[in-house]
Amino acid sequence: MGLRIQDLTKEYGDTTALSGVSFEIPDGSFAVVLGESGAGKSTLLRILNGLTEPTSGGVYLDGQEITNSRSDVGMVFQQHNLADELSAYDNALTGTFNRTGFVRSLLNLQPVEDRELALEALETVGLLDEAGQRVDRMSGGQQQRVGIARALVQQPALLLADEPVASLDPASAEAVMTCFRETAKKRDLTTLASLHQVNIAREFGEQFIGLKDGEVMFVGSRSELTPSILEEIYGEIQTEELREGTETPDSNEPTQTNASDIGARL
Amino acid sequence: MSTDPDPLGERLRRRFVGGSREDSAVKRRHGELKRARLVRRLSQSALLAGIAVLLFWSLNAAGFWSTEWVQYWPQFIDALALYFPPKLYFDLVPFVDVGRYYQFMEEAGLVGEAGITLAIALAGTIMGAPLALLFGILGNERVTPFPLNFLFRGVMSIIRSIPALVWALIYVPLGGITPVTATLALGTDTIGELGRLLTDELEEVDDGPIEGIRSTGAGKPQIIAFGMIPQMVRPFIAWAMFVLENNVRSAVSLGIIGAGGLGVTLTIEQQTFQFTNMMATILFIVGLVISVEMISQRTRSYLREGDDVERLSVYQLVVGFPRRMSDSLFK
Repeated sequence: MGLRIQDLTKEYGDTTALSGVSFEIPDGSFAVVLGESGAGKSTLLRILNGLTEPTSGGVYLDGQEITNSRSDVGMVFQQHNLADELSAYDNALTGTFNRTGFVRSLLNLQPVEDRELALEALETVGLLDEAGQRVDRMSGGQQQRVGIARALVQQPALLLADEPVASLDPASAEAVMTCFRETAKKRDLTTLASLHQVNIAREFGEQFIGLKDGEVMFVGSRSELTPSILEEIYGEIQTEELREGTETPDSNEPTQTNASDIGARL
Repeated sequence: MSTDPDPLGERLRRRFVGGSREDSAVKRRHGELKRARLVRRLSQSALLAGIAVLLFWSLNAAGFWSTEWVQYWPQFIDALALYFPPKLYFDLVPFVDVGRYYQFMEEAGLVGEAGITLAIALAGTIMGAPLALLFGILGNERVTPFPLNFLFRGVMSIIRSIPALVWALIYVPLGGITPVTATLALGTDTIGELGRLLTDELEEVDDGPIEGIRSTGAGKPQIIAFGMIPQMVRPFIAWAMFVLENNVRSAVSLGIIGAGGLGVTLTIEQQTFQFTNMMATILFIVGLVISVEMISQRTRSYLREGDDVERLSVYQLVVGFPRRMSDSLFK
């Protein structure tokens, strides 16, 4: 059964971000959404997580329409989007908020099972020893693994990742993606990630969805993802590298944004 | 008769307007730039003249041209001698008689009065700060939807438009002319001042963590408490320290209307023409305010340095103070 997306459309005023997007992913598979920036990858993932309302269309998981999407779907962001000032453990615990009342969450009175769940999730991503550490003192790769742990604690039916490694150096990107794949396998989670680095996508993805200008160009497995299809999705420049086999991973600088850097104006 | 090849009119025209039509492009451009500069200078002069008129008008409205203050000038000089009583040290070096200041500071128990002033400022700040945080957050558009958030912003604006001194007058029927009234006044004032600073700070809160918490299916109070407030802790402490500085100064002025502390001593000495004592009190106020400012600025720069710098504990902050002070003095 798996994930079925049916005729999803999203319009912002006059611009159409997604137009009639439909595809299916088998249960438990690791799927990758490919596409240039502006192709609609983020919009698609945000709709799946319920952060954005679709104009029309539906999302079905194992035949059931997802209604409570934020609780049922875990999301990992490019910029991690953690509470920087809190520990890795506290951040993982925020994954329980969909089932914890406000006062309980404020006083850190989650049930023991939930607290163990948070620590287990940190163990899964290899950060059990760093559980008490503030996340803004962690590396980008570690922060992203905390992000994965938070999503796991939600006990999601579907795991999403919007450009999870775009802000990381190549080595951390590799480590985070490996962590992702193994986590998904261990917990038998259907995973959908958007990636713009084709080489990483080919290495880790099992199913591929190609988006261009808000429309689905391609759905298929790794072997079906031929260079000519990549060319269709991306245009020529990016695929050149891939053909020659000299893939240089995107060397985006690890962005360590510290939003809490207040005093500068004091 | 006029054999002058370059008559005055032509020279002036060249000076201010520029060369003649048949000149080269460079000369024409030069002329244009000259004209532009002339226009700029004229408008600057007009602005200066305008400011001068404004000053004259304001002084006039303030009654500055009455001759009285000129008549009283000798009295002011006499008062200065009382403010700073001279003394010959070792029958040789003339300097201000510090001993008399010190004597009064001890006699009048200025340390205790300063304690009251400080207590008023601290209590006002500590009582007002949580409400300022609450109003600041509720005034934010992301927390409270558009028209409603202006309810909270409006309340803060109204509080701010009333000076602390006037708040004290409003509270007099409740607490009399006492430190209680002063504390209530400063608490109210803090809501307006700190709340406004925090509103600005909240506008700059990073959306990422908020969205991150939202994506977990958290409710709105949880999103605010875990996505927004953690980002506000540092700015909140830093701005609260800043407001505390201001509140110490305000507490002195509230004392002048009789609400306790150093301000009371100050008015009493002034009204009984004990000018040396008055200056002793002023010097004590300077000492108090500067101490609070130093602690506040130290805290704020420590918050600013953030996590990259090894943290100084409060203990180190206090114990290491004299050394750091002398370091900065002899650097």
